[in-house]
Amino acid sequence: MFDFVGKRFPRHDGFVKAAGLAEFTFDVEVPGMLYGRIFKSPYAFARVGRIDTSLAESMGAVVLTPDEVPDALFNPRLLSLEEDTFKDWRVLTKTPRYVGEPIAVVAAPTEDAAQRALEALRVEFEEVYEPLLDPFEAMSPGARPIHERIVRGRRWVEVRNNVAAEYGYSEGDLETEERRSSVVVERRFHASRRYHAQLEPKGAVCKIEPDGSLTVWTTTQTIHNTKILISQVYGIPMNRIDVRKVPLGGGFGSSIHTNLVTLIAVGLCLKAGRPVKLVLTREDDMVHDHVGFEFYMRVRAGATREGEITFGELENTVDIGAHQVQAYPLLGASLGWFVSLYKWRALRYYGRAVYTNKVPSCAIRGYGAPEVTWAVETVVDEIAEELKVDPVEFRLRNYRGRGEIFWGQGPTVRSVIRSDGVPELMAKCSELIGWKTRGDPRSKSGRFRRGIGVGRGFHTSGAGGPLSGAVIDYSGAIVKLNEDGTVDYITALQDHGGGTLDAHAKIIAEELKVPPSRIRIVWSGTSTTVYDVCTHASRGVFVGGEAARRAAAEVKRKVLEYAARILDAVSPEALRIEYDRELNDAVIFVEGAPEKRVSLSEVARTAWQRNWGSISASVSYRATVAPPSFTVYFVEVEVDTETGIVRPVRVVAGADVGTVVSPELAAGQLHGGFSIGWSWATGDEVAYLRDGVPAHRLSMTDYKIPTVLDLPDDERFTVVFASTYEPFGPFGAKGLGESASNPVIAAVANAIYNAIGVRFYEIPMTPEKVLRALRGGG
Amino acid sequence: MRVSFRLNGSVVEVDVEPHETLLNVLRDRLKIKSVKYGCGIGECGACTVILDGRPVTSCLVLAAKVGGSEVLTPDYVARTELGRRIVDAMLEEGAIQCGYCTPGFLTTIYAAIIRGVRDADSMRRALLGNLCRCTGYVNIMKAVKRLLEDVR
Repeated sequence: MFDFVGKRFPRHDGFVKAAGLAEFTFDVEVPGMLYGRIFKSPYAFARVGRIDTSLAESMGAVVLTPDEVPDALFNPRLLSLEEDTFKDWRVLTKTPRYVGEPIAVVAAPTEDAAQRALEALRVEFEEVYEPLLDPFEAMSPGARPIHERIVRGRRWVEVRNNVAAEYGYSEGDLETEERRSSVVVERRFHASRRYHAQLEPKGAVCKIEPDGSLTVWTTTQTIHNTKILISQVYGIPMNRIDVRKVPLGGGFGSSIHTNLVTLIAVGLCLKAGRPVKLVLTREDDMVHDHVGFEFYMRVRAGATREGEITFGELENTVDIGAHQVQAYPLLGASLGWFVSLYKWRALRYYGRAVYTNKVPSCAIRGYGAPEVTWAVETVVDEIAEELKVDPVEFRLRNYRGRGEIFWGQGPTVRSVIRSDGVPELMAKCSELIGWKTRGDPRSKSGRFRRGIGVGRGFHTSGAGGPLSGAVIDYSGAIVKLNEDGTVDYITALQDHGGGTLDAHAKIIAEELKVPPSRIRIVWSGTSTTVYDVCTHASRGVFVGGEAARRAAAEVKRKVLEYAARILDAVSPEALRIEYDRELNDAVIFVEGAPEKRVSLSEVARTAWQRNWGSISASVSYRATVAPPSFTVYFVEVEVDTETGIVRPVRVVAGADVGTVVSPELAAGQLHGGFSIGWSWATGDEVAYLRDGVPAHRLSMTDYKIPTVLDLPDDERFTVVFASTYEPFGPFGAKGLGESASNPVIAAVANAIYNAIGVRFYEIPMTPEKVLRALRGGG
Repeated sequence: MRVSFRLNGSVVEVDVEPHETLLNVLRDRLKIKSVKYGCGIGECGACTVILDGRPVTSCLVLAAKVGGSEVLTPDYVARTELGRRIVDAMLEEGAIQCGYCTPGFLTTIYAAIIRGVRDADSMRRALLGNLCRCTGYVNIMKAVKRLLEDVR
């Protein structure tokens, strides 16, 4: 059906990455640059008095203090509309609210000199407060306000009881639905704070150009929003800032916003008048910079004796740490995930985000969906069991599928589901894992017990929709045909590593009928690209890819127009275009007249030689829908009842991504999605000591992520793709990145239950907790 | 102090501080950026280089101690015949995602094959110290198996 889409091609940047030649932020060097080091708060909640910079400055260092940065508050994440953006951050602060919050920063010609200058800074703390580490304690009457006032949009708002944001919603008649339910299950869940553990720590390099404009290289999932925020914070016109796109050593949400380190580097560079490099050590990155959100959820749901879901209720308290990155939209998105999981006849939702004196939380792969899906899929499993209905059957009867309304990231992002591979995936995957033979936990004995569990979920493909909604979501692409028929593809869209841009190259190739190798993906910056909101919400292929396709289609239209002139055709409509394997080029021809043929390269050359002008297109694209990509996980685990260690035995992952653009890379998303989901389910947890110091001080030895020995290899990992086609996607494709991990915790928890008969309502399900439960602790 | 060692086939001489790590000397003094910083304390494997035939995390090696040794870095290894085959196998199997850990995997696999590792289980143990958050190691192990068949 396609010439390039769905075929395997080695990724364009593969050799460069493997050989270590890809230049990440960490690798960027500018002649004459200074190295920065941040003075971080040793206290979780304090007030800074005098900062004595004299000794550091006498050593030749440049020092930037809180009094020298712009006074206005900001939110590092520009996604919501201005009026829904909650601002409580400063570039440097005199009121540190978590251990590690930047207070001052120094710059010196070498890293060693910078470190010595840092140690020469004298920072007085006027007051040190008892930190609030528990969200419920933080909300209790009389608790010290972590922020007294913050800015929402452009006006000041008071913060009450340390509640940063709230969100409520209800629909239908809950009481009536509850009355007609024969089963009601209510459970409380707790999902830990988890560190993204992307392999590249964050950093930034900033340079002032001879004309006074700024060039910035930084770890980010969005170069344009970074440009906008630098402009807003420092009052620099946007055309005087070029944020360059550099490879990102893993995202998972950690750089979904403009990193504080970027803004600090800009401030330091402006003060020093020289280029500055400011990179975080692993300790800085993992202990003091970012984590995902921590959830406390209460889920209540019911069903009739006939197995029809009636109502659902979700109460969601999110511990966001000391500042808001995107807490308010998270509450709406959590509601969206909840609504879209099942056909609730009535529902009630209440979400609140709470400040604590801990590292600020930002999105982590799934943006609330893994946690909400885990909670709901656990309750649904319990309901099915009580009704004595097969859990797979129960899900198929009640999930939101084709023809239903899908909410995507929240109530303002609604669209109708048009492609749905869930029935196909459920049938194929349950067969492959041997679902019918999984047995009952009560019948299992012995030291090693195996169990099979299912989790079903989805993620949105972007945050587009028919109405403008509450968030910004559009992409841009420039496709340019060179005079020899080669193609430059210029986009701001960041590829976190999943191969998004390789997918785009194939989509452009498919449209133009030239091989992907002909298309160069240009490393560019904000000065040379049009706006793309961010690579998030699994939108890269669905929205960004469609922008690329539309730009390519516009180029094709011009190619056909010029080919019609060359071939003397009456109109471009008389022409056909196809890939010619022998020429390895697109050929344009008149059907039935074989002599009337011209290659795309020849068209490009002719347009140049005859002064017809450049063949190029710049497109800005907003998707009018945000279709769900559905995923289904069947996981078999083995529980060692003597050690409590849980091991993954087999994984069958089913994904409905519409057309699969790159099979091996798409499979890679599911492998990686399982890996991070397994990590969340069984190990990841950022714990704090009483003074607010993270307990994993010693870095990745304390905070373990799975190694090659902990995960199943290809012989025990099967990926199944549904045979669907999304009518709004480029060549039928939709998103994948986050749906690849969303149902994993649920499937693992349900598998553990099937092995040992114990339900866990808290992640991570560590060996200690498993053992305690097995020994009767519940 | 002055240290002389063989780097990717040529002798280099460089001034180093006694406390400087091989990682910093390679990256900052010799401008070899293919050796990636991931943690600085030997936990992630991103900075793996080959020192006298053995894979080492260069952040744990003092530069002053490598005098007279032979050091191979990922940019060089990728261009050797075996290195190229490793990279090709990775490309075939989609084993490369963000690419930050990949140079470390490349050098570890290269050193293991030179040492005579020929089976997947031994290779898995050799790769225990290389962390990857993107791939779940599935396609990396697929590439390794393809490569081992090829080498055998």
